Amino acid sequence: MATSRSQVRINRHPDDVWSVLRDPMRIVEWFPGITGVSMDGDVRTIVMASGLPVNEDIVTIDHRLRRFQYKITGPLPVSFHLATMDVIDIGTPDAPESLLVYSTEIVPDPMSFVLDGATSTAIANLATILNDHAEERS
Amino acid sequence: MGRKILFITTDQMRYDAIGANGGRVARTPVIDSLAANGICYDRAQPSNVVCMPSRATMVTGQNVGTHGVWMNGVPLPEQSASVARVLGEAGYRTALIGKSHFEPLLDPFLRFGENMHAMRGETTGTHGFEYMELATHGAVGFNHYAQWVQKNHPEVIGGFFQVLDRELEVSGVPGGDTGAPQIKVNPIDPEWYHTDWVARQTMSWLDSIATDDDWFCWMSFPDPHHPWDPPASEMHRVNWRELDLPENYVEDRAAREAIIDAKPRHWRKWYDGELVSNYEAPAKWVPATLTADQIREVNAYAHVENELIDEAVGRVLAHIEAKGWGDDVDIVFTTDHGEFQGDFGFLFKGPYHVDALARLPLIWRPAPSAVQQNPERVSKPVGLLDLAPTFCAIAGVTPPTWMEGKPLPVTDSDAEARGFERSLIEWDSCQPDGTDVHCRTILRDNLVCTMYRPGTMHDGTEGELYDLIADPMQRINLWDDPSRQSIKADLLADLFDNLVESTMELRPQAPV
Repeated sequence: MATSRSQVRINRHPDDVWSVLRDPMRIVEWFPGITGVSMDGDVRTIVMASGLPVNEDIVTIDHRLRRFQYKITGPLPVSFHLATMDVIDIGTPDAPESLLVYSTEIVPDPMSFVLDGATSTAIANLATILNDHAEERS
Repeated sequence: MGRKILFITTDQMRYDAIGANGGRVARTPVIDSLAANGICYDRAQPSNVVCMPSRATMVTGQNVGTHGVWMNGVPLPEQSASVARVLGEAGYRTALIGKSHFEPLLDPFLRFGENMHAMRGETTGTHGFEYMELATHGAVGFNHYAQWVQKNHPEVIGGFFQVLDRELEVSGVPGGDTGAPQIKVNPIDPEWYHTDWVARQTMSWLDSIATDDDWFCWMSFPDPHHPWDPPASEMHRVNWRELDLPENYVEDRAAREAIIDAKPRHWRKWYDGELVSNYEAPAKWVPATLTADQIREVNAYAHVENELIDEAVGRVLAHIEAKGWGDDVDIVFTTDHGEFQGDFGFLFKGPYHVDALARLPLIWRPAPSAVQQNPERVSKPVGLLDLAPTFCAIAGVTPPTWMEGKPLPVTDSDAEARGFERSLIEWDSCQPDGTDVHCRTILRDNLVCTMYRPGTMHDGTEGELYDLIADPMQRINLWDDPSRQSIKADLLADLFDNLVESTMELRPQAPV
């Protein structure tokens, strides 16, 4: 099993970051290369820019920990997958700041490079979007 | 009107693949004629022995540490330095037709411009090129050739070797008569095969150019890179049963393994199937199982692919001649890196900086209208690093200061006068399981010295040192020879004096 982890600091209160991440449908707003999303119960289907659909089970939406977890179930050739996004408060009352950590465990191993490249780009993009909004607001 | 430039590359071709360099099997009269009327380089080296870093060096004219593409799967940024952009700004029309591989191929999110344009059916260039039509090994993926096959001849897709297995590992499924890995009898019509497609699209692009325009066209054939699956109708050209074994394949198993055991430990680890340090080498294939007949058959397939490339080049050159440009075109022919093809009992490639992978064919036939060129052979070390400044020099453009090579020498005395003393090669790999290998190599004074940095495989004490005059097959590792410690220290000092160190995080964006 391969593991990967990306993290980014965001100059926003954790509740602001979590408000975007906790909604499975909002992934198209911040994850480049995802062009479509739909939900059926706890099953999310995303569509990649290449046209490939990916089915995911939403495993955890924990508001207390600000933790979101999902599993890819198909049709990618993935025999095990668990992705975890944690939003951690690293700010102060005067200077709100969050640490977003995106971890992936996956089999087969080579898939980790594909997803790691995409997720590291995606959370950097999310940070840019939220930081830009923060600047607009201030 | 200036000199036009046809830059021809193959992928994973050995120095000895062509007749001009002593090849005795594949008939390559067209490429040989370029050598007979130009300059043939006998010590041309890549900056890295896999595709993406090497191609990034070709287009940027920079060392790996500068352009940052340290391994396959690491993209060259779209706005990176590019000789195509420099030539475009000088008024040249620019195109790349065939395999670019500046960006990862495995890209389901279509994060990279090359793949995105191809999937949209656009010929918009990236990395400074005005026009791109892309191909790679086979008929699947996000490239123009795959799209063309899927649209026009979908029935032939299954004839190609399927590179990835269900676990997304590179497949070593056996084929042919001998069960060699990654060979397949492909029933495709030769006209539909990517070699012909690349030549055809090149001619089509040239037809779109006004007679007086200057142009730089990179015609980039995906072969003879594995998998080896040329059109079956052409396999009659070379009978594998009649082939000699490669000079650097030692048939006696014990003798072969003794040579490998004198090299750093990753050689034997891969041989025994205990290590995969390069994603492109089939993960489940064990080199120790490779038979002499399998080597013969793989070589036969590669020779056929090289003959098809030579004939395709011939058609393009005839087309250029018919358009009246023949005397005004500089032609540069090379490849991105080599291939074991049986040397030491291996196939494919990896962190092994021996001639099989690191000595490349390189020929420059200057435009006859500009230069009265006598046939020359240059023995001093040159690199693919020197191509971009050479293209600038041909175009009459001063090479930008960010290019780190020099225009190619035209004779050995020219090379000596301009300081062509050494060539460097780098390797860094990090596999998903955490295995990493890091090495640096210098070629100077007919000595090849490779040091291995500490990682999961090496402890920082191992290395290789070969004397190319006394031991051209690189079988005798002199790294620990007490009489060579002084020259080894000198070579390592020279290596680090000239190495551009990267500060980039070693984090791939895709496996390949």
